[in-house]
Amino acid sequence: MTTLSNHVPDPRLITAIAKRRDGLLHRVNPWTKVGIGGALVIAVTVFDRFALLAGLYGAVLVVYGLGKLPFQRLAGWYTLPMLFIISVAGPLAFLEPGTPIGGALSTSLGELSVTWAGLVLFLELSFRSLTVVTFTLTASMTTEYSDIVYVLGRLLPRPLDQIALLTYRFTFVMLETLENLVKAAQSRGANFSEFWSNKRLYAKIFGMMMLSAIEQSERLVKSMEARGYNGDITLYGDVSTPPVHELVIVLGFYAVVVGYATFVVYGVGL
Amino acid sequence: MAHIHLGEGTFPLWALLFWTLLGVGLISAVVYRVRKGGIETHQIALAGIGAAASFAIFQLNIPVWGGIHMNLTGLVGILAGPLLGVLITLVVNIFSTAVGHGAVGLLGANTLVNATEAIVAYYAFKTLIGMDWDIFSASTSAATLGLSAGAFLMGAIIVISGVNGSALPRGELTIAVAGLVGLNLGVAVIEGILTGFIVQFLASVRPDLIGIVDRDTREETTGVTA
Repeated sequence: MTTLSNHVPDPRLITAIAKRRDGLLHRVNPWTKVGIGGALVIAVTVFDRFALLAGLYGAVLVVYGLGKLPFQRLAGWYTLPMLFIISVAGPLAFLEPGTPIGGALSTSLGELSVTWAGLVLFLELSFRSLTVVTFTLTASMTTEYSDIVYVLGRLLPRPLDQIALLTYRFTFVMLETLENLVKAAQSRGANFSEFWSNKRLYAKIFGMMMLSAIEQSERLVKSMEARGYNGDITLYGDVSTPPVHELVIVLGFYAVVVGYATFVVYGVGL
Repeated sequence: MAHIHLGEGTFPLWALLFWTLLGVGLISAVVYRVRKGGIETHQIALAGIGAAASFAIFQLNIPVWGGIHMNLTGLVGILAGPLLGVLITLVVNIFSTAVGHGAVGLLGANTLVNATEAIVAYYAFKTLIGMDWDIFSASTSAATLGLSAGAFLMGAIIVISGVNGSALPRGELTIAVAGLVGLNLGVAVIEGILTGFIVQFLASVRPDLIGIVDRDTREETTGVTA
């Protein structure tokens, strides 16, 4: 635990990329990204052909590249999503009925083999998951902080919107607090490389972290009430409605996905 | 939040809609209760910053079994209570999804799993403290119990839903998912022990946070810094 994990995206890096870079996707309306994200979720759920899922993933990767976003980091950020895929699809690859790839391994419980159907299922689940993971990262890295705050404020009901806005604001503060606590412990000779022998140290760091959070919240309450907080954190930004050409793209995408689900997957006749 | 998030597109469409509706139902009920009871400013601030802390803690790699990540959902439930705990788990899930961890379409299912962890941990902790257990044992047991309940619910959700594109019968799917639940139970024990130490530490410096003494009797901060 010398630093924050490099296989978990750092919100500060994501926000910095969104703020400082100016690619093609930075100029796309945030509501358009929300719309495309929703359509992608439905698409990866209903698309049932390997080629379609692979094509969709390829298309999202191209969009990621158009945004001039870092591919090397993306590979690292895939670690956790891939772990989740492996944890579900890994065992299924062995259990899925079908023709074994190569030979079968004899075990005391019977023959063990990965089938072609199991491999295809594994790849399909990978494409489904990574398509949306890549898109959400793309959207996060091309949408400015103020726009995300505005969209959150519009989408969530009160008091969830207030909680989400404070969470977003204080995520950066909490990350810095955590890093400072870790550095301070290291400078006093702490060793984080082994968990069991250092479990009390971990607990103290996390305890201090929660304590710091609670005490910051107590200070924040005084500040909010002094400013006349009445259940509303005013947002000064504004996100306009998407331009016509973006609306056409979003609606077209939904039409394709819903049409495919209706006529191809569920076989509804015309 | 020791459970493993499910990947996008893992469930068929009907299951995605079903769990989303259940999740929306739970959140609506909690929001209704919170609004009806009137939420205080300090509760909103605590929930917001507590969620930020939970999300930040997730960024750290704990060196067990090659590296695990935790959100300390049991701790969130014990400190914030069942209603705010549920709202915090939803917000943490939304932010996790935004950085590519977890599935947008499974926000409902994941919120149900994490809300269960927070709610069970809270009530188990209150019950055990009421039975005169010491702080460490009560919080360790409560957090482990909550996280275990979440792990079993996660397994049940996968088995009920089935996996998109898989022809595996439910019986064999249950066997495949059992390994996943077992892994989560192992992490639940680790996170439970860690939660126990954290609550013990918090109780030593701010007993009002754990409900051992009256919150109003304490005014000064401890001035936590690095």
